[in-house]
Amino acid sequence: MKNLSQTSMRRLISVGMLAFLVCLFTILAGYGKGNFFSSANLIEIIRDASIPAIIGVGVTFIIITSGIDLSTGSMMALVGMVMANVYEYTEWPFKVMILLGLLTGLLCGLVNGIIVAKLNVPEFIGTLATMSIYRAMTYIIAIRNENGVIKSQAMNHSQYVWLGTGVGKFYYVIMAMIAFVVIGQIVLRYTRYGTNLYSVGANRKAATLSGINVAKTRMIAYMITGVAVAVGAVFTTARLQSATTAIGTDFEFNPIAAAVVGGVALSGGSGDVIGTLIGALFMATLENGVRKLDMNTSFQYIIKGIIIIAVVIFDATYKSRMERKAREQGAKEGLE
Amino acid sequence: MAGNTILEATHIYKSFSGVPVLQDVHFEVKAGEVHALMGENGAGKSTLIKIVTGVYSKDDGQIYWEGKPVEINNYQDCQKLGVACIYQELSVIPPLTVAQNVFLGREPRNGPFINYNKMNQMTQELIDKYQFPLKPTTIVDNLGIGQRQLIEILKGLSQNSKLLIMDEPTASLSGKEAEMLFHIIRTLREQGVSIIYISHRLEEVYMLSDRLTILRDGKNAAVLEKEEIIPAKVIETMIGKVVDESAGSRKMLHSDDSKPIRLDVKNLTDKSDRFRNISFQVHSGEILGLGGLIGAGRTEVVRAIYGVDKAASGEVYLGGKKLNPSPKSSIKEGIGFVPEDRRNQGFIPLLSTTYNVALTNYDIVKINGVAISDSDELAMSKRAIEAIDIRPSNPDKQVGVMSGGNQQKVVLGKWLMRNLKLLIVDEPTAGIDVGAKDEIYSILEKLASEGVAIIVVTSDLQELLRVSHRILVMRKGNIVKEFKNVEVTQSMVLAAGQGVQEAS
Amino acid sequence: MNKINWSKYSKPIILVCFILILSILRPKAFLSLNNFSNVLWSVSVIGIMVSGTIFVFLMGGIDLSIATLCALTAVVVVEVTHSMGDTPNAVAVGVLAALCTGIVAGLLHGLIITTFHIPAFLVTFATQSIFLGLAMVLTNNKIISCTVPAFTAIGAKKILGFPMPVYFMLIIAIISWFLLRKTVFGRYVYAVGGNPVASEISGINVKRMTIICYILSGLTTALGGIVLASMTQQASSSLGAGYTNDVITAGVIGGVSLLGGEGTVPGAIFGAVLMGLLNNGLNLMSVPSTHAGLVKGLVIIIAVAFDAMQHADQSRKKVKKVKTAKNGE
Repeated sequence: MKNLSQTSMRRLISVGMLAFLVCLFTILAGYGKGNFFSSANLIEIIRDASIPAIIGVGVTFIIITSGIDLSTGSMMALVGMVMANVYEYTEWPFKVMILLGLLTGLLCGLVNGIIVAKLNVPEFIGTLATMSIYRAMTYIIAIRNENGVIKSQAMNHSQYVWLGTGVGKFYYVIMAMIAFVVIGQIVLRYTRYGTNLYSVGANRKAATLSGINVAKTRMIAYMITGVAVAVGAVFTTARLQSATTAIGTDFEFNPIAAAVVGGVALSGGSGDVIGTLIGALFMATLENGVRKLDMNTSFQYIIKGIIIIAVVIFDATYKSRMERKAREQGAKEGLE
Repeated sequence: MAGNTILEATHIYKSFSGVPVLQDVHFEVKAGEVHALMGENGAGKSTLIKIVTGVYSKDDGQIYWEGKPVEINNYQDCQKLGVACIYQELSVIPPLTVAQNVFLGREPRNGPFINYNKMNQMTQELIDKYQFPLKPTTIVDNLGIGQRQLIEILKGLSQNSKLLIMDEPTASLSGKEAEMLFHIIRTLREQGVSIIYISHRLEEVYMLSDRLTILRDGKNAAVLEKEEIIPAKVIETMIGKVVDESAGSRKMLHSDDSKPIRLDVKNLTDKSDRFRNISFQVHSGEILGLGGLIGAGRTEVVRAIYGVDKAASGEVYLGGKKLNPSPKSSIKEGIGFVPEDRRNQGFIPLLSTTYNVALTNYDIVKINGVAISDSDELAMSKRAIEAIDIRPSNPDKQVGVMSGGNQQKVVLGKWLMRNLKLLIVDEPTAGIDVGAKDEIYSILEKLASEGVAIIVVTSDLQELLRVSHRILVMRKGNIVKEFKNVEVTQSMVLAAGQGVQEAS
Repeated sequence: MNKINWSKYSKPIILVCFILILSILRPKAFLSLNNFSNVLWSVSVIGIMVSGTIFVFLMGGIDLSIATLCALTAVVVVEVTHSMGDTPNAVAVGVLAALCTGIVAGLLHGLIITTFHIPAFLVTFATQSIFLGLAMVLTNNKIISCTVPAFTAIGAKKILGFPMPVYFMLIIAIISWFLLRKTVFGRYVYAVGGNPVASEISGINVKRMTIICYILSGLTTALGGIVLASMTQQASSSLGAGYTNDVITAGVIGGVSLLGGEGTVPGAIFGAVLMGLLNNGLNLMSVPSTHAGLVKGLVIIIAVAFDAMQHADQSRKKVKKVKTAKNGE
């Protein structure tokens, strides 16, 4: 996997975009009141980027197979609510609660996988549907007060509160993110499953001919995403110390946006977890900077959308140009 | 060089829905030889290969591998024996490296992790052994088609394949890339690997092969040793001497130059060099046959005339008027076009006969204000159904569920509703039963008698002779031969397309 | 032949069954005329939107930005009305501005999709965020109300017992139906959705068709946004939440294939009515609207999976046929 000219070029661009953004806000914040470029704030940014990055690991796997998952946000809310129910109505130990949460995520991922890989529903339609299903299920099992009104369930178990903290400023969620990214990258680069993901995304027919089980590969990617989302849900509820029906509304968008900015092409077969991490950092920096500059935070939605379109247009034109070049070169030079 | 028989197929029979495709075919490949397989379209080459690789099951006969009888039921079976097929449609994974592609699904591992060092080393060994111009760590994305093909070959070799099957391997290669491939093929032969080489191109077969099996109409026509492979003789064998003298494959061409020139093509040249400096004319009422091998550039030329693809340079005149080809303006000027890939380019499967027939004809369907007159549209569809006997005759029937012949009639039918000046048909009867074929021929003839100029592109030599008043033969993007007012045979056309001198 | 007849009548049958079930379960509440006009009222917004987005669906495209574009256009109409002094003329300008917003949004989608060959879901996925942001910025994240009589009349005024939006829906649906069923443009839409390559060869400008279809979708979404704002007498960035799914579900229920080339306006309107009845029915049976997503999601999956299965069947048949027809060569 050395010297991916196209990929390393793309990596350079996303790192450059991140660096540019950091510089921009550092300069601008000098005039504003907030101190953007401080270690505390930078750690804050990394903390904010952690959950999108964790979910992004799974989403990256899916996108590499040329799929998509629009349901991650709702899935996150559902996992949170399942755990809240366990917390509220049982005396089960803390570990069991988390385990059940992870299991819920796995199950949701499996359902997505079956719909997409077995029932052959186009990915974005299938996961758009499960997005509304998981959200509705969250409402159905939401915890209500005696009048039947949904209340936000406080979850302040001491161990739970502990999860939301860290070693000094080094939050546990950041550690979890690092673990996810490292393991994700290793799986992608150094295992057969990783190679299979690229094969399925780049040339499904060839993958089948080489004896790769395409449906299984895709389903596992969705299940990994389910687990990643569940981990994200655990840390989110731990940080909020409560579970609400509105959790994760931004998480339909952010992990995919992070992957796209980080160079994971939605046509499949390219990109990696490190790229998604850079993308997640980019998104978090953007949000943080907009806040620090006292801009209307709503601007971030506009900026994010424009950046995604710009990046996607760049990828599309760049790819077609490279392909044409490769073809011409191949025809011209023959074989060395 | 050549040793023992490695693969032998004897008395192979195969038929599709009652139509025999292979009858008592015998085929034998020796170790370390390049064995070419030739035959006209429909001679049964692909069927034979598909039986050998387990894609089709044979009706009767026996396959022997290294002298032992074997059953090959799927591609995995044949891989296990040591047979690898290099697909025309390349099956490499672009984002992976050469080594990753070669060992896809069989990566050497340390525990759960891929051992890249070992894998690259194993690939390097293979590359060194067969002298491929590749590096194990190159990303395939950056390679041309020729090199990608080599990766497929390497993949086959890495599985210790003793026999490689190459189906038209040079079809999409540039001249230089093909040269490289030929070099590799020779190297492989020296290393004792057998190769079945299927090609339309006689010169390649002539240059490379040690032996040649020719199929004709699903039967063995000949097995020629290297010194017997003489182009004229090969062509004669492919067509068959008896056939060549029979009525269907010999024809006196007659052109009537007194009729006005309808289409005048001047120096048409393609952007990606698939054809160059094409100039020809078609007279009113004339059926011009465009012959040549698949990939000679015929389809590309007619697509450029109609305007689906833009030519780089050159001019097209219709009835003296210069055209700026685009489908829309071509239709307006009275050109009709029946594309070669019927299902993907010819019609809208989900729509009815009526809507498919009317699709190009809304300029002549009655329109009240902005509303289409349904009754006029239906009347047009009924006219088409009647004129060329489309079945089922229900105008509301979805075209996607009809038979191939009737689908083609729908595609053709929409042009008959117009005042045509020029009709271009590309492989008009591919995959169509005999009855419908004849009907389509008589439609073309009728149109010509009404003064329409017609260009027929076809790889079916019999068809070419049957319908054409004049024949142009293309080869490698140029027009190489014109048959006009002479007696022509299938062999003559084939020889021209192959670029060999006709045997007297 | 029997089969064809069944599928032809399946929709009215489903509708009648649905109405019967509701009238048996909740006879008093459901059968009141008031409730019925309520159903129509809630149906009309979905109906208006789906009448335009059906063009996009028929082309095999999708629009994930329906909900936020709806919010944005609602915000635009209200803001412009306010800034022009809340006169009836101001309302007219506001409506015009909102419609233009919809057209520009559709044009943007169409241009990006056709120029760069980027999948529609990705483009509209990104613009959804842009529209949301714009709506938020314009409203400063607040709910802005608008009680100008000329404006509220759009949603509330009744003619012959039915609210205005119902008439809007009928008019838009009839125009759409007419375009699709009666004009050359409509024929081309089905052709391009069914086979873009063959359409191009048949002289159809596929690129232009695609752009026009996205513009139509943007236009009706804007109209839906205006009506919704008028009905609720307010606008906010979350106004149209859930409508993306509702519109897609209505289309799918009504037999519009999201793979392109299949579907009719009456079908889509039927889908919208069924969605309205569903929402209303669940509501009458005290199932909160937030739970309806479960049913809608399942409907989409089942319908599309069924669709995909049929397509797979067809292509399998096709392969078989080609094999036999080609006689093995």
